[in-house]
This record gives sequence, C-alpha cells and structure tokens, in this order.
Amino acid sequence: MVVGAVECLAECEHVYKSFFGVNVLEDVSFRVNAGEVVALLGENGAGKSTLVKILSGVYTRDSGSVRIFGRPVGDLTPREAQALGISIIHQELNLCSHLTVAENIFLGREIIKNGVLAKREMSRMAAEVLRRINIDMDPDIAVGDLSVSKQQLVEIAKALSSNARILIMDEPTSALTAREIEDLFVIIRRLRGESGCGIVYISHRLDELKHITDRVTIMRDGRFITSADFASITMDEIISHMVGREIKEKFPRVDCARGKKIFEVRNISSGKAVRDVSLELYEGEIVGIAGLMGAGRTELTRAIFGVDPKDSGSVRLDGREVAIGRPSDSIDAGIVLAPEDRKKDGLCTRLSVRENITLPNLDMVCEGAGMVNRRKEDVMVGETVKNLSIKLSGPEVNAGSLSGGNQQKVVVGKWLARNSRVVIFDEPTRGIDVAAKVEIYNLMNELKRNGIGVMFVSSEMPEIIGFADRIIVMCEGRITGEFMRGEATQNKILEKATQFEIKKIDAGCPAQEEAV
Amino acid sequence: MSEERRGALRRILAIRGMPQVITVTVGLLLIFVAFSMLSENFTSSRNLRNLLRQLAPILIIGIAQSYVLITGNIDLSIGSVVGMSCMISATLMTRGVSPLAAVAVTIVCCLLIGLLNGQLVALCGLPPFIATLGTMTIARGIAQIVNDNRNTDSIGEAARGFRNLFYYGEVSIGGLRIFNTVIIAAVLWVVFNFILSSTRTGRHIYAAGSNIEAARMSGVNINRTVTAAYLVSAFCSCVVGFITCATGGVGTMDAGNMYEMYAVAASVIGGVSTLGGQGLLLGTVIGASIWSVLQNGLVLSGAAVAIRNIAVGIIVVISVLLDIVVRNGKWLKKKGTA
Repeated sequence: MVVGAVECLAECEHVYKSFFGVNVLEDVSFRVNAGEVVALLGENGAGKSTLVKILSGVYTRDSGSVRIFGRPVGDLTPREAQALGISIIHQELNLCSHLTVAENIFLGREIIKNGVLAKREMSRMAAEVLRRINIDMDPDIAVGDLSVSKQQLVEIAKALSSNARILIMDEPTSALTAREIEDLFVIIRRLRGESGCGIVYISHRLDELKHITDRVTIMRDGRFITSADFASITMDEIISHMVGREIKEKFPRVDCARGKKIFEVRNISSGKAVRDVSLELYEGEIVGIAGLMGAGRTELTRAIFGVDPKDSGSVRLDGREVAIGRPSDSIDAGIVLAPEDRKKDGLCTRLSVRENITLPNLDMVCEGAGMVNRRKEDVMVGETVKNLSIKLSGPEVNAGSLSGGNQQKVVVGKWLARNSRVVIFDEPTRGIDVAAKVEIYNLMNELKRNGIGVMFVSSEMPEIIGFADRIIVMCEGRITGEFMRGEATQNKILEKATQFEIKKIDAGCPAQEEAV
Repeated sequence: MSEERRGALRRILAIRGMPQVITVTVGLLLIFVAFSMLSENFTSSRNLRNLLRQLAPILIIGIAQSYVLITGNIDLSIGSVVGMSCMISATLMTRGVSPLAAVAVTIVCCLLIGLLNGQLVALCGLPPFIATLGTMTIARGIAQIVNDNRNTDSIGEAARGFRNLFYYGEVSIGGLRIFNTVIIAAVLWVVFNFILSSTRTGRHIYAAGSNIEAARMSGVNINRTVTAAYLVSAFCSCVVGFITCATGGVGTMDAGNMYEMYAVAASVIGGVSTLGGQGLLLGTVIGASIWSVLQNGLVLSGAAVAIRNIAVGIIVVISVLLDIVVRNGKWLKKKGTA
C-alpha cells in the first residue's frame, strides 16, 4: 500500500463554459481521488450538472484543462469518456426497458462471436458483475420489470462492467425508499473501498451526506466556492456557502395594501408530486413559491389549473368553491396559468401570434354561431401586442419565430386579454433577457394593483426574495415553510426547501449516528 | 389602386400555408398544359366535365382526411366507410326503404364510426393509426355483412331521385352544365372550408394539431375537437358512398377501397402536414385536382394502370419532399448540428 500519495482520478482546472453568451461555468476547479466520495453541492443552476457533463463528454469546455489519471485530455465524446473509465448515472435512468439486464449492461459493446451475439457469455459476465457488488438479480430478466432502485443498480453494474473508475451519480436517491438507500450506500462504500473508485455524488438531500461523504465541493452561480473534508465543515457552513451571494439585483416591487382573500386552495393532493397543499391568496399581494427542482411546484400549478387530476382537495374563489376538472373550467372561473415550458405547454409554435393570443379567448371574439369575428380578433391582438410591447413584424408571424422574451409575452398576453381573478405564473422569467424580465415584473405589478391574485413559481432565489410579498416554500410536494417579505433569507428558504421527510437510514455508518 | 391591390396580395400571401398552395397550383398548371399537348381530347369540354366528376369524390375524401390530419391524427377508415355507406344505402333501397330514409339511416351509421374513431383516439388515447385501422376493418366487415356477403342488385326505379341527385343530375350555371356531383363537392368544400378557417371549432382543430398540450392548457376541449374532425371525415366519406352507389346503381362491397390513401395523397400534395396543425382546404382542392388530372390524363395518353400508379406515387413523394426542402431551405437534415 502506498501511503501518502493519493491517486487523483480526475482533475479539472480553470474550466469555463458558456451557452449563448451566458457563462455557466467560470474558472471551476474540481478533483476526485481514488477511494473517496465527493459530494458536489449547490443550488439549482449552480453548474453542477454542466460540470459533470463536461467530465463525461456530453459537453465540451470552452477553456481550462482536464486530467484523467494524471493525463491531460482534450475534448471527449461520451464514448471516449466511458472508455477512459468515467461513467455517469443520471437522475433519469437511461435503460431500454424492454431489453434484459444483461442486454442493457452490454448495450453498445455487445460481445460478438462468429457474427452472432454471444448471449450466454454476456449473461454470465453480467451475473459476475452483479455478484461483485452483491446484487442478487437475474441477468435475463427484462429491465422494465424491475423496481426503480433495481434499475439504478443495473446502471451501476453497467458502469462497472465497462471498468469505470470514476462514477458520477446525479441525485441517485430521489426515487428510492429508505431501505433501498441503505443498500445503495453499502454498495457505494464497497466501490470506494474495495474497487478504489472515485465517486462524485450530487444530491440536495444534505442529511444523507453524513453516511457516505468524504469531501464536499460546493459551487454557486457557476463558480467553485470551496472544497473541504466533510468532517471539518458543518451543515450551516455548507448552506451558507451554497447560497452565499448577496442580492444585488433590484426588483420593481410596488407596495399595495393587502385586501380581502381572493383565492384559496385546500388540501390539494395530486399523485406523488403534490401532497396535501393548502394556500391562500389575497388582493394586492404577489405570492412566490420557492423550492428545489422536483419539489412539486409545477405540478401544484397544473393540479390547480385542472391539467392534472386532483386526488383530493378543493379550490375556492371569492369564497365560493369552484369545481375544476379541466383547464376550461378554470379559465371560465377566472383562474389562469402561464406555464413553465413555453415550447411544450405554452405556445402553438407553428401557429401565428394572432392565433395564439386569441386561442383561449375565442369566446370573446366569436359571433353567436361560433364564427370568429376577425375585426374583434385583430383589435384584441393589437391591444395585447401594444400593452405588452411585444416586438414583431406582424401578428401573422409564427409564434415559434419570436425571441424567448417575446414568446413569454405572448404566453402571458393571451391571459391578460381576458379578465381573470387569479393569474399563476410558472417560472415567468426563465430564459428571457433582463429588459423582458422587468417588463414581466411590471405586468405582474399591474395585476397586483388591479386587485388580481398573483402567484408565481420561481427557482431564482433573488427573484423570490426581492419580488414576492409572501413566500411559500415547497419540498417533496408539501409546503414546508412560509415567510412574509423581509423575514426570508436565502439560508432560511434553502433550509425549508431541503426539509425532506427523514428517511431513517441505518447504513451502519460508524460515525455520526443520529437519533431523529 | 395598384397600391391597394398590392396590399390585398400581401394579405393573401400572409395566410399561413398559402405559399405552398401557390407552389402546387403552378405544378397543377404545368401538368395540365403537358396533358393538353399530349392528348387533344384532354381539353375537350366532354373530358373536362368528366374530369370534374372524377375529381368530386377525391376532393370530398380529401376534405375528410385533411380535417383529421390537421388535428395531428389520421383516418384510415375513410375507404371502408365509403364502402359501408354504399352498401347500407343500396341494401335498404333494394329492400323498399325510401331513399330519404335510407340516406338518413346510412348517415347515422357512418357518424357512429366517426364517433368511435374520435373516442378511441381522444378519450382512450389509442394511436390514431391503430384505432382507425381497427374501425377500417370493422366498417369493411359491416359493408360485407349487410347484404349477406354479396353485392346488391340494382337499386332500381324507386331510387331514381337518389341517382339523379348524386350522379346524373346537372345544374346549369351561366350556360355551363355542371354535374350535381361537382356541385355537392363544391358545397361541402365551401361549408367545411368556412368552418375550418373562420370558426372557433376550426381554430381549435389547428391548435390541437399544432401543440396538443398548449391547446389543452388554453382550455381547448381536445376530445370534442378531435371527435369533431373524425365526424366530419365520416360524414364526407358517407357522401362519397352515396355517390359511388348512385354511379353504379348497385351496392358494391369493395367500394371505396384504398380511398383513405388517395385522401392522404390529395391532402399532402396540397400542403397539409401529416404532423398536424398545418394545411389549407384550398390546398386540398389543388392536391385532389393534381391527382385527378394525372389519372385522367394518363388514361387519355394511353398509359397502363401500372404506369399510372407509379406516376402518382412519384408525385406524392416529390411534392412532400419539395415542401420539406422549401421549409427547411436545405436538402436533408444534417446530423450533428446543434
């Protein structure tokens, strides 16, 4: 045994990466040694995924150096990265559910003898790999028949069978039960110890870290913040490093007197993503919904609006209960939603701006027989385009041809053309430029002034803190916190946003065993 | 004056899909000129009248398929519904049911198939290809079973009015004698073009085909919209069944065979996208015309059936390929361009 010299498996130095002129990684350095588990931490959009995608060859870096096993490497393709021994296990599993475990493990590098697949040999080798990490699994069973946790193990086996030394796991435990997490941690410890693998572990569940982590690396806003031995850093320090930025941006907030209650959601549940959520909305306030990715915020808005079915719960508007079974019920009642994913849910990109704006408002521009009155339609479109200062050459251009900001204005504009009582925005400023952001904020202010209930979901912490009058924090489909404006800090919000239900993990962790 | 005219032209060109329609219209004119040079009979008034009469059913099923294609789905049951309509109406009339009642009953039966299509696709979420493959087979089976697996006898004297309305009759417009069949197609076109281009339902049909999620989130009732398109399709196919029945004077079990494919051809030649959300019924007229002119012209030029099939097949592929090229501004999708 060599003592002292720790083998460095992968090392990045001064890596830069930008997309469309936006810097997502700036001067990031990162390393993972043999036999250690490094937790890569940071908020949404901190650049963790981009970094590991550069390591695994999905993206190429703009500048900076990467060394694998001490050797400098140029731009890698995913295949080359894999050949070098880097495997990434994504949050969404990349398996072919109709193929067997063995077929998946050898996908893309099948063993062929005399021109035919050596099925028995692959099956045998797959069984060997599975045995190596103590997984009891039939290699000839279809992957689709396995539970999610077992599928994850197949991914791990797949990585090991290609002799991976560097294993990157992106949120591996989010779909697992406590018992399955324990099993996973046993395997991770074995990989670290016996196989000498280096493991990069990305997770938002900070409470899990103590069971496996040797070192943490924290990123924020595309920058490397710090790296420390896990034993030498406290949870509070970790959170502070994650959010540590000052809020410099100014938000054009207006003050309004809080009026009467407009809107109330009572005990809504929808599938696994929304669990027993209740909230209220008053005149003259803007409510921001904060949380990490996957906290169930988008699903909540969809359940309220009637896109996804509600398992239970009710919605009340101005004191009266409204039955919402589908979006048209909600629109009729005066509750509208500008969805998060413009291309997927918000716009008919191949239809004109005119048709998009009037699509939900055809009832307002139609004659009795359902005939569209083009004159009324043109007036509505003209007003919307003017009020929102949507920049376009004419209302007949395809909505898909506009810039992100203008597309967003069309999505919002179609709802403002009708008199609604409640407007819900899901990530209203995502992917649009600063000027367009301010215009969207001003629109929301306008609604607030007019006594319309405004609620928005955002993953931008400064936006939530700087613009919302009241902040609701969600985690795992539940509301875990609520703050009035002024009370909220980034640390407090993040603390609530990571308040996962405690899964009692007893993975034989020698040190910090905690009674919860 | 010319300024005003230019403005009007620009407005017409701004209609989505109009450039494609103009392109295929030029193609139609070229084919037309080519045939009039190849065969002197081609432009005789007798042949042109015939040509229009052949065009009518193709146009009507083209309208049917265009409606469904624009919602982003497909209707494979069109040909079988034509056969079903032909057999049910003929069987009833040969058994002494009055033509009016026979027509009414047949329309109801065909609309039931349309309703089934709509529900299978929109409510049950079956892939439209599979759902309408099923109803295609069912409808053909019904066409066979109604007269005990035989074609019917002549629908006879009592049905003279029926045959007159759907086949023999003519209307004189400004000295031009036009077959009723052509008038029926024209009326259906006007009505359904109006619905598609100028009503709420029509707008919903485009929206559902363009982006079903965005349409749903805008309050569009997808089930109702898709079902409406399938009902229009079934109704149009039913009318073509009447025309077929009136033309032969008998019910034939394989009436309308392959019409669903002709309908796809007429639609896509005319610029209707199989991906949904795109297309104009004006284009469908041109597409159906190209189809009919090719068939008619090739017959007059003495081409064998096989040659006709090959020619039409080539035209379908070329017209869609041209459309892709025009739209993308390049030949083939290149790999690896982000």
